[in-house]
Order: sequence, then C-alpha cells, then structure tokens
Amino acid sequence: MGYEELFPTNDLNGWHANAAKRFASPFVDNYHDRIDVDPIMLSNAAVHCGFTIRDFYEKPELGIHCVGYIAELFDLLPVTHWFFSLPWVRELGMTLVYKDTLPPIPTGPIYEPTAEGIENLKPIEKEDLLKGSTIPLFYNLYDYVQKNLPHTLVPISYGFDLVGASAELIGVENFIMWTFTEPDLAHKLVDTFVETSINGADALSDKYGMAMLIVGSVLANNDIFADEQVEEYGAKKMGHYVDQCFRKGAGPQIFYHLCGNHETSYKVFRNNLVWSPFTVIHVGYKGRIDFPSELLKQEFQDVATCMGSVDTKLMINPNPKAVYERSKECLLDGRDAKKGFILGNTCETPPYTIPGNLLAMTRAARDFGTYGTW
Amino acid sequence: MAITFSDAAKKNMEVKGLKEDDIKKIIESAGTDRIFNGERFIAKKVIGDLTVYADYSGKDGNITVNGAYCHKLSIRDIVLTGEDSGWKYCKNNKPVMKGHTDLEYMGAVRSGPSLVEPESGESWFEEYLANGALTTAEGLFEQKRA
Repeated sequence: MGYEELFPTNDLNGWHANAAKRFASPFVDNYHDRIDVDPIMLSNAAVHCGFTIRDFYEKPELGIHCVGYIAELFDLLPVTHWFFSLPWVRELGMTLVYKDTLPPIPTGPIYEPTAEGIENLKPIEKEDLLKGSTIPLFYNLYDYVQKNLPHTLVPISYGFDLVGASAELIGVENFIMWTFTEPDLAHKLVDTFVETSINGADALSDKYGMAMLIVGSVLANNDIFADEQVEEYGAKKMGHYVDQCFRKGAGPQIFYHLCGNHETSYKVFRNNLVWSPFTVIHVGYKGRIDFPSELLKQEFQDVATCMGSVDTKLMINPNPKAVYERSKECLLDGRDAKKGFILGNTCETPPYTIPGNLLAMTRAARDFGTYGTW
Repeated sequence: MAITFSDAAKKNMEVKGLKEDDIKKIIESAGTDRIFNGERFIAKKVIGDLTVYADYSGKDGNITVNGAYCHKLSIRDIVLTGEDSGWKYCKNNKPVMKGHTDLEYMGAVRSGPSLVEPESGESWFEEYLANGALTTAEGLFEQKRA
C-alpha cells in the first residue's frame, strides 16, 4: 500500500482553491481573503496524523503527505515542503542517523580541524550529486507529490544553513574557533558546501524547470558571532548562493530564514542578499524576544514579502489565548507591509505543537489579518 | 555595419519571437545609450510591451550578437545599489553597479537583481535573469493574477 492510500484528497474546489488564491495574493498585489499563516510545519504534521517524528524524516513521502493533508485543518499555506537542516552533507562524506525525537543528525565530524585535514575537500559536482542521496531523495519526493498531491507542488532546493552545515564537517566548536584563527580555512569549508548546494539547485531546476530556494543564516547569528562575521560568513555567502543558483536556472522564489538571535545582525542582510520578485524574509529573534514585525517591515518591506514571528515556545504552552494575542500584535504591526505579510513562528513549529495554538494563529489572522487601509 | 548572430542568440530569438531586424535597430540606434565591459556591449529598447536587449561585441563595423533576449516586466525605479559590476555606461562613463530595480507587471511591483547606474537612474537585466527567473516570474504573475 502506498502512503497516498492513507489520506483522503484535500477539498480541492473549496478549501484549496481559496487557500491557493490567498497564498499567491501578497506576491502579485492581488489581495485575497486575509493574511496567510505559515507555522513552518514539519514533523508536527506527522504527529497530527498519528505518526512519529522519526516517521516524518525516515519516510519523506509519508511526511510530505501529512504536511499537504493537515494544512487544510488549520487553513494554512496550500503548498508542501519537507526538509531537514543538513542537505548535501552525506555527499560530502558525513553519516546521518535517524532519531525518535529529532531530525537526522550527524554521527560526528569527519575531518581533522587542520589545513591538511581538509586538503582534499572539494565541492561535489552535479553529476556526482545525481548519484548521491540528496538529489534522488528530492526527485522521488517531488515525483510523489506530482503524482499524488499535484495541487501542492513547489519544487524546493535547500541551501539551508550554509554555515552550520559546513561547521559540522569539522565540529561546530572548531569551526567557530577557525573563524578567528584560520579564516581562510573557515571560508574554504563554507565555500565547499555553498558550491555543492548550488550544484544541487542546478540539478533540481534541470528536472522541474524551476526550484524555489530556501537558505538561512542559522549558526551565523548574534548569539555566536558579531555582525561582521554574520555578514562575512552568512549574508555574503547566501547572496552568492542565490546569485549562482539563478544563473543556473533556479528560482525565482526565495525564502530567507534568519534563525535565532539577529539582534543587530539583521542589518547586514539587506545589501548582501539577492531579492527576486517572489522573496520572503523571516527573522526569528531580536535578543530573547520574537523579532518585532514593525522592525522587520522597516528593514525589508521595499524588497520582500515579510514573515512575522510568533515565539515557538508559545506553541507548546497550553495557552491558546497567549498565541492569539502575540499573533494579533504581529499582524497589527506587519499587515501593511508594502510587499505583503505572512504570519509565522520564530522557526519550525515544534513537533508537539498544541492544535489549539495553531487554531489561535489562524483565528488571529482571520480577525486581524484583513487587507485594507488601516 | 555588418551584424551577425551567434547560434545561441538565434536560438533564443526563436524561442522569444524576436526579429533580427529589431535587434539590428537596437544596436544601430543605441548611440551612447549602452553599457560596456571590455569589448562587450548591452543595449536595450522598449518595443511594444517588451524590453528587448542586444548583448554584442565587435568593432570596425563587424558586430556579433552574443545574446538577444527580452522581458515583459517594465523597468521602474532603482531600489538598491551595490558594488561595482565591471560595466560602464557609455552615456556618462560612470560605473554600473550591481543592484536591484523595481519591475512592474500586471499591476504588481516587485524588485529583481539588476545592473544599475544611479546617476542616470538606468537599469539593465542580464540574459540569465531574463531567460530564467524573470520568465518564470512572468508566468507566475499571469497564472496568479488570472
């Protein structure tokens, strides 16, 4: 039995037709219904459908079907996504293991943190990626979606955390030290991962004619680095990644995820990133608070659709009213962003997010995410 | 002026429905309204609803068109100006920078990565963008605005 036999079809003419129009509306200035909600739902979708976190990652087709199916329950974005934060590292030699309560994690660094240790490290070419594990995984996944959930298909290529994934190759602590003591080697590590990711986007867009790009600055945030390093290792590399992916036919959609604390480093991204007609920018935290929508709007509304942040901690707290109030605040501050607004969480909504809290976000979007002149 | 077309330019012109005569006119009438980088030039002209570009090189009246391309999105204001792109604008000899420019299509205004010359306010889009991201974006606008 295929996973598709486990799920009824979405309500295509009712819910999906309306949600699809709503999803497109901020990008084409054709406002419809209300501001959309994207809690960045991953394994939480599997949990809602009675499966486990491990199932979500170990069985990608099942996982993505859960995402596509459950979006209807909370009236979320009508598109599917499935990912974890370490694409392409297996091709670079790492081993990932599946866990019951976590996304796949590496068994440990594979290179000695010395110049000699990474001497033979080179980007993986497209032809070799086609024979690896990440590209076949995503080809199979999107082929499944094309066949079973075609109304939700958006082929996505992930650069994801360019710095964090590179750091895993020698160990995160060693990498952070290298940014101070051996910056040339730190750059070589990140550049190798970036070029490999670009080749991956090339392979994805070859097959599907386009590839949305998701790329973030996760390890490169103000809890770890000063603004200068976030710019050097995060923002500039992200800009290069998208520029090169575009030259190879990927895009035009981009999702920038500035994860964690970007208290002051949010300022280094505007002039370093590539902004396409279909770009969403999302920032997690400013210090310890969820990033203010007003500030997000001020900094980025000229170049992108802004995605506001409701703290993920609230999503596992049995207090839907608190989620509703924070969502309201987020919406009131961000809803008049020039190029549209989406209500989101500070990061992926936790696997055990309380359903009542997701409903609270959607309820707030219905109540306060209206379009008009405020 | 002898103008010949590369195979790549011919192929893209066929895909986009661009005529050789139109590309020749863009080159012949460009004057200083073009950018250059070494021996390479890019000139553009709005023809109907399209912004059409000729990417060409050569001298002494022998011109080779390396690329001919277009986009439906209308060029509006410069949004961001970045670092030097290596190109220069013939009209004022100022450096052309990497940047972002607003584009308008079907009533929606969105920005895209471009080459910009801030003093004149002029912007150009390169072939990889026009044939890739911008073409896909036009399709999405047409589909989603319908």
